[in-house]
Amino acid sequence: MPGRTRPIDKLATAVGKCSPESAVYGKCIFADYNNVHKDMCAKEFMRLKECYLKAYKTR
Amino acid sequence: MNTLSVRAFIPPLTRRGLPLRAIRCYAVQAPGAPTMEIFSNQHKWQQRERAAANVDASRSVDYLRDEVASRLCERVLDIKRHFPHVLDLGANACNVAHALTQPSPEEPEKGPRSTRVGKITAADSSATLLHRDADLPFNNEIEIIREVLPTSELLPYQANTFDAVFSSLSLHWINDLPSVLAQVNNVLKPDSPFISVMMGGDSLYELRTSLQLAEQDRRGGVATHTSPLADVKDVGGLLQKAGFNLLTVDVDDIIVDYPDTFSLMKDLQAMGESNAVLAREKGGIQRDVLLAADAIYRELHGNEDGTLPATFRLIYMIGWKHSPEQAKPLERGTGMFSIKDYLEKNGEGGEGKN
Repeated sequence: MPGRTRPIDKLATAVGKCSPESAVYGKCIFADYNNVHKDMCAKEFMRLKECYLKAYKTR
Repeated sequence: MNTLSVRAFIPPLTRRGLPLRAIRCYAVQAPGAPTMEIFSNQHKWQQRERAAANVDASRSVDYLRDEVASRLCERVLDIKRHFPHVLDLGANACNVAHALTQPSPEEPEKGPRSTRVGKITAADSSATLLHRDADLPFNNEIEIIREVLPTSELLPYQANTFDAVFSSLSLHWINDLPSVLAQVNNVLKPDSPFISVMMGGDSLYELRTSLQLAEQDRRGGVATHTSPLADVKDVGGLLQKAGFNLLTVDVDDIIVDYPDTFSLMKDLQAMGESNAVLAREKGGIQRDVLLAADAIYRELHGNEDGTLPATFRLIYMIGWKHSPEQAKPLERGTGMFSIKDYLEKNGEGGEGKN
């Protein structure tokens, strides 16, 4: 769709800028992926989300 | 609480009332037996209409359907026969007809594959998708009759009409597969093949598992985001139950690499293959979950070059309608030599010698 960026495209570019945080979070889940429970990696996720929010706003 | 919904002002994407033709054909195998409703047909239809309305995006994601249609046509060529009238059930954008007009990649000098097929009736429930490519040049090279079906689960054709039925990548949205297969068997002429391919087994298992792990961590539970699919071992039984003979079932994996999960989901949406399970969570996936799923996908399944593989498992099936003149398996005990001995003698040194 010309003239309009889809939210998912904005999301994708913003997430693309946070690969170190994303890798840390991924590794945290991967370390114990048979036994995932709520907020298991909350700390790592919040770091990823902060980075993503910053990247999302600066565009 | 009385909230004013905006949805009420959006004109609904409802289908025109298409009259069901006055043909009686049996729809369920056991009358009275309740049909399991897993997928929302109305929702699926809307998704496909919307996806096809954006012609450019819809054409850009035809890579999977075109490749699968081409592989299906290769299997059609294996049958040394001419099919005067063929039904393409769940035709999508007539990808099978398109693939038939192209030469086989293995024998390009032999010309288009459509010499084997007389005319093809392309039937699909989504009119926009079906007519999307109606003015492309390939339509002049093969006789295509496009027919919009009122519902994808009811075939409005007389018994013994078609010389073959093809179906490519559409059976995985059918609720009542035994009934549809029985109807296919009914519309086929005796001793005619049903050649089809459907998504199945572990298709998109990477996406499924990452979303599950992401939801487990972020929300403490899982919701359905990918359809339940038929497995290879179910398909043989299904075909047999529908009355097909001489079954051939085989599996083929196509792995597509995507830059990130968002491209994968966007492509699935543009194909009209978004989630349409009745028990799905209404509304989109939360951003937190998307964010987490992308990270987990990358860690769990990602390639070394940073791309994400997505597996599509395709189940090809060929079944023949029963006919008295058909070749039958030999009687038990009439074998002249033991296969065990043969394999022990010849199987060891490789497949090259006979």
